[in-house]
Amino acid sequence: MPEFNLKVAKTLNYKRPEIEKGYNDQTLHINISEADISIRPVEQKTRDIFVGGKGYDLWLLWNAVQADTRWDDPQNAICIACGPLGGTPIYPGSGKSIATTLSPLTQAAIDSNVGGYFGPYLKFSGFDALQIQGKASRDTIIFIDGINQQIQILDAAGLPENAYELSAVLTDHFADGNPRNISVVSAGPGAQNTLIGCLNFTWYDAKRKRARYKQAGRGGIGTVFADKGLKALVARWDTVTADTNNPADKAKLKAVAKLHSREIVELDPKQNEMARIGTTHLVTIMNDHDLLPTHNFRYGSHSAAPNLGQEIFRRLFDPGFDGCWMGCTVACSHGVKDFVPLTGPFKGEKVFVDGPEYETVAGCGSNLGIFDPHTVIELNFYCDAYGLDTISVGTGIAFAMECYEMGLINQAHTGGLDLSFGNRASALELVHQMALGEGFGQIVGQGIRKMKAKFAGDFGADPAIMADIGMEAKGLEFSEYMTKESLAQQGGYGLALKGPQHDEAWLIFLDMVHNFMPTFEKKAEALHWFPMFRTWFSLCGLCKLPWNDIVPEDNKDTQEPAKILKHLQWYADYFSSVTGRSSAPEDLVAMSEGVYNFQRIFNLKMGFGTREHDALPYRAVGPVTELEYESRAERYDTQLKEIYKVDIEDKTTAEKTAIMRQLREEQYEKLQDAVYARRGWTPDGIPTVDTVRRLGIDFDEVLEVLKARGVK
Amino acid sequence: MIKVADHTVDWHAGMTISDLLIEINDPHPYAVVRIDQTYVSRPNFDKTIIPDNAEVYLIPMVAGG
Repeated sequence: MPEFNLKVAKTLNYKRPEIEKGYNDQTLHINISEADISIRPVEQKTRDIFVGGKGYDLWLLWNAVQADTRWDDPQNAICIACGPLGGTPIYPGSGKSIATTLSPLTQAAIDSNVGGYFGPYLKFSGFDALQIQGKASRDTIIFIDGINQQIQILDAAGLPENAYELSAVLTDHFADGNPRNISVVSAGPGAQNTLIGCLNFTWYDAKRKRARYKQAGRGGIGTVFADKGLKALVARWDTVTADTNNPADKAKLKAVAKLHSREIVELDPKQNEMARIGTTHLVTIMNDHDLLPTHNFRYGSHSAAPNLGQEIFRRLFDPGFDGCWMGCTVACSHGVKDFVPLTGPFKGEKVFVDGPEYETVAGCGSNLGIFDPHTVIELNFYCDAYGLDTISVGTGIAFAMECYEMGLINQAHTGGLDLSFGNRASALELVHQMALGEGFGQIVGQGIRKMKAKFAGDFGADPAIMADIGMEAKGLEFSEYMTKESLAQQGGYGLALKGPQHDEAWLIFLDMVHNFMPTFEKKAEALHWFPMFRTWFSLCGLCKLPWNDIVPEDNKDTQEPAKILKHLQWYADYFSSVTGRSSAPEDLVAMSEGVYNFQRIFNLKMGFGTREHDALPYRAVGPVTELEYESRAERYDTQLKEIYKVDIEDKTTAEKTAIMRQLREEQYEKLQDAVYARRGWTPDGIPTVDTVRRLGIDFDEVLEVLKARGVK
Repeated sequence: MIKVADHTVDWHAGMTISDLLIEINDPHPYAVVRIDQTYVSRPNFDKTIIPDNAEVYLIPMVAGG
């Protein structure tokens, strides 16, 4: 146990309100520059429009920042909220926290939906959301003690740097004999020294007697956290039951929770076995459908991909209950016990690794040309310990590797590192360098958009080819799905408000495999409905996996199998039973639509949020190089001939690649037109005044932002 | 004999997943089927042979993440 010192800088004793139907109707505000702690009420109108969770975060953040606020300004806020359904221990997937801030990668609002106990414990301590502003001059810990009804700001010294040890130490320190009562949020040295920092949220694993970790990965929230001088947030709460949210109709809640829980227990073993293998089943499935990114998204499959698949992780994962929230029957947060890293500060020590999940396997494995599960696990471990987002790490290194293989950069730039695809030692070394803020890893840790600028400006690399192969949009690195053959998923990434993360729309199977949306109109409808409904989960503090990863056996025979109608009704019943706000499935989508459009306008406020910002790198749309075209020549030739009616006789590969590019880029433009129209936006992608009025978000400041863009 | 979704189906040598779906008259465009603990994706349905006494799970996967 390291010696450390915590000194109280400020204490606020408060009276915890009785939680009513999932709400406290107050939020906690802390300014760490001034050691100021305040509690503010939530107006009924705010609750009606923004619902909770991500909705509350965005509203708080909107009011905290100005159009010229930068991510590292003291005014930038980190907001964390749960949601009215969050913390329900009898309904699967009900323990999510949603973290939001101005991103150092995108300069706009970013949100990340994460497991662990913090969000529910924050709410049960009396707060529907937490907003942190300011910057501390020394390492700072915020302790929210819902049991003793006390908030403390503490100056810290001597604590471990890495999240792995830090969370364990703080859990032990604040537990008062019951570590299950504690959840810690922390970042790490990688978050401090890059722009791709993540936050680690803990849950306590009583069986293994250790703090476990889930990550709010996307967009550099951990970097903002570290820049503020925050060392950790700690929440403390006591026993959780179905009564803790004080639901409006407990009998109805219990009934619907039982239906969903039991269905998962019955069907998960027959379907994806997520309680046993997490999301690793996706690796080979994606590979078989040519959707697994390999070698910086050049290709969608590789013969060695099964080395990273579920058959391997079935053996590597430590069996046992792995629910990141209490009572969840999906319980997919698996880990590897007694793993021994071959590099870095934990070299030769036995550690417990939380993960990997599919995204990490694809990002830090196949996309780097690495098909060794042990390297992937080691990258996973150090990313967590250093507070780095595995997706941005994987996609960022993949870009650097392709630049290296193309000769755009060389060992003079990389500090001697051989960045050929598949070089495991170099990938690990880059991650260690990110933690130290040294070497070429420090450059990679700035994200792809800044890498492109540096490689062009300082190393003389061709900006045009880097624009095509650098897999970022809006400044955020892509998550790990190939989109070349799914126009709908291109939209799912390109039109996503925060950047290319699949949580808004995961439409590949619906589009490519099931062909549920053969027309532009159907794709546009999907790119309206799915982002709206998926947003709803983050308003309420929920996980999406119980909705659509384990599906009723008769779902395929329903009118709209993609929506999983049975579950929609269950979620409407769940919402009604906790909040007392009677809701049908269509009401859930309507709730999200207001928040979704508000976030789009928030992007506008920050200088983004128009059509030009929904552009994609061409690698996401089609084959950039002749090599890529030739690798799937039969597919592309057939498309040119049969779909586009192009005479390809006597055409060279270069000519066919160019024709394909023009056609596919036109398709994406048409898709944008169709989606904007469906969402009630102008052709430039801006919500119209009629739309914001219909959704009840026509606040003066919203209308001012629209007016400044010529929308009246 | 193989087991499919709590029913038994007669097995024959060389039986592929595509054969099975025809024999049980299930036209749904499954993306994935599981044979015991092995996941098989649709592109491999024609060439994946089901062993005798296997348990086959027809996975109605529509989405993820």
